[in-house]
Amino acid sequence: MSAFLDHLPQFWQGLVVTLQLTAASFAGAAVVGLVITALRVSPVRVLRGIGTAYVETFQNLPLLVLLVLAVFGLPEIGVKAGLLETAIVVIALYEAAYLAEALRSGVNAVAAGQGEAARALGLTFSQSLRHVVLPQALRTVIQPIGNIFIALTMNTSLAAAVGVVELTATANRVNLLEAQPIPIFVGAGLAYALIAACAGFVTGRLERRLVMIR
Amino acid sequence: MVSIKRVAALAALTMVGLSACGGTDSGSPAVPGESKKSDVISGVPVAAVADILPGSTMEKIKQRGELIVGGSLDAPLLSQQNPVSGEIEGFDADMGKALAKYIIGEPKVKIVNSASETREALLANGTVDVVFQTYTITPERAKQVAFAGPYYSSGLTLAVRKGTTGIAKPEDLNGKTVIAGANTPAIPAIEKLAPKAKIVTFGSDPECMQALKQERGDVYVQDETLLIANAQKDPSVQLVGKPFTTDPYGIGLKHGDEDFKKFVNGWLTKIQGDGNWQKIWKNSIGTIVPGEATPPEIGSVPGS
Repeated sequence: MSAFLDHLPQFWQGLVVTLQLTAASFAGAAVVGLVITALRVSPVRVLRGIGTAYVETFQNLPLLVLLVLAVFGLPEIGVKAGLLETAIVVIALYEAAYLAEALRSGVNAVAAGQGEAARALGLTFSQSLRHVVLPQALRTVIQPIGNIFIALTMNTSLAAAVGVVELTATANRVNLLEAQPIPIFVGAGLAYALIAACAGFVTGRLERRLVMIR
Repeated sequence: MVSIKRVAALAALTMVGLSACGGTDSGSPAVPGESKKSDVISGVPVAAVADILPGSTMEKIKQRGELIVGGSLDAPLLSQQNPVSGEIEGFDADMGKALAKYIIGEPKVKIVNSASETREALLANGTVDVVFQTYTITPERAKQVAFAGPYYSSGLTLAVRKGTTGIAKPEDLNGKTVIAGANTPAIPAIEKLAPKAKIVTFGSDPECMQALKQERGDVYVQDETLLIANAQKDPSVQLVGKPFTTDPYGIGLKHGDEDFKKFVNGWLTKIQGDGNWQKIWKNSIGTIVPGEATPPEIGSVPGS
């Protein structure tokens, strides 16, 4: 275990980058996912089509392919951003597709009568979504969103392949020096497990607090 | 009907993705240097029956009829799978075949794609018999695996975009962004000589070259052989200075298997003496590096 403990400052630095990646891309995914959900349930056919196309595109391309394309392909057409920023944007766009599907299942879980009642009261589409449908939809999909958060955390490790020095890349580098893969990767794995456990704990609490008593 | 439409749309999307992929890679052909069809293995010796001790690792391999080698499939000139023929070509790959022929009588190898984070474990649990994978001999590693050799010695050097100034030696890298291959000895070497350098790593050599050209870093640190091959293909990149490290590559064996280590060292001595080592070198690295190479002295570095 000393191979892991001797490099704690490096691992801490890697963990910070992983947390940055996770937090920033989840925030981005939440915003984009919400917009895509709105598109997918909208009454306008073209908008629904755009939403479906987005989800199908990002769910059917592997994240690693997207990362490599964005990091090496975009500079060829003159778009160049930092590695960390590129990774955040790509992971956010990718996870947004999954988040949108989870949110949509939540929207579908809201009884049709709720939407009809909102319209009968004279609310517009976006008002009824904001005040009636989404608050109820979000409550039913707290667990799936928690799962997506955990999956996103694990997916940030792919950023190691495009030069972002996060937890996995750090573990690789330390192992190169120490040649002790088992303690080093078990250590890195525990850090990921800790993030996942926190996410599980938070979603559990949220679910109990926000439960709807009908 | 809907599902058919959906499938068609999907197929179209996938194709867009694929062609875009091809576009980014087009600057770097997969195989640098023409690899001559290898008949280099035909001349290598076969061990005497008396050398295959009963109950030894060599005997086990001979009975199996196949040598299981931990190696790479993506290291140009060393161990790279030819995308057309499916053959694995290069210096490390041919050395593995030569060892297989020495033990079994035929160059029958199975390459298990290993990585720097798995090779100690693969050797320890017996998944692979030997590792030929630019496996630099270090005292830390020698605590977990046995090293025969060194069988080759190489060094790291610097490559920059043509016209870059201010980088002449590794100490100049302080404060610069340095590109290196993930899991290469370049990373600890840079950390030691230029602790203030920012290191970005990419998985493969073509990615590192692309990153250098796209100005994601000022300099690319890699094995000299690879960089010479790259600079020959791509005139926008040039090498700076001489190699600043010596990396002795060893053949990874299971820790504590003294008989096998002695046997492999004996084989190395033999092929270095009869010119087969030089022939294998000429056929792979020698297609890029001019002149003749001399093999390093066996057992000459700490850990071997």
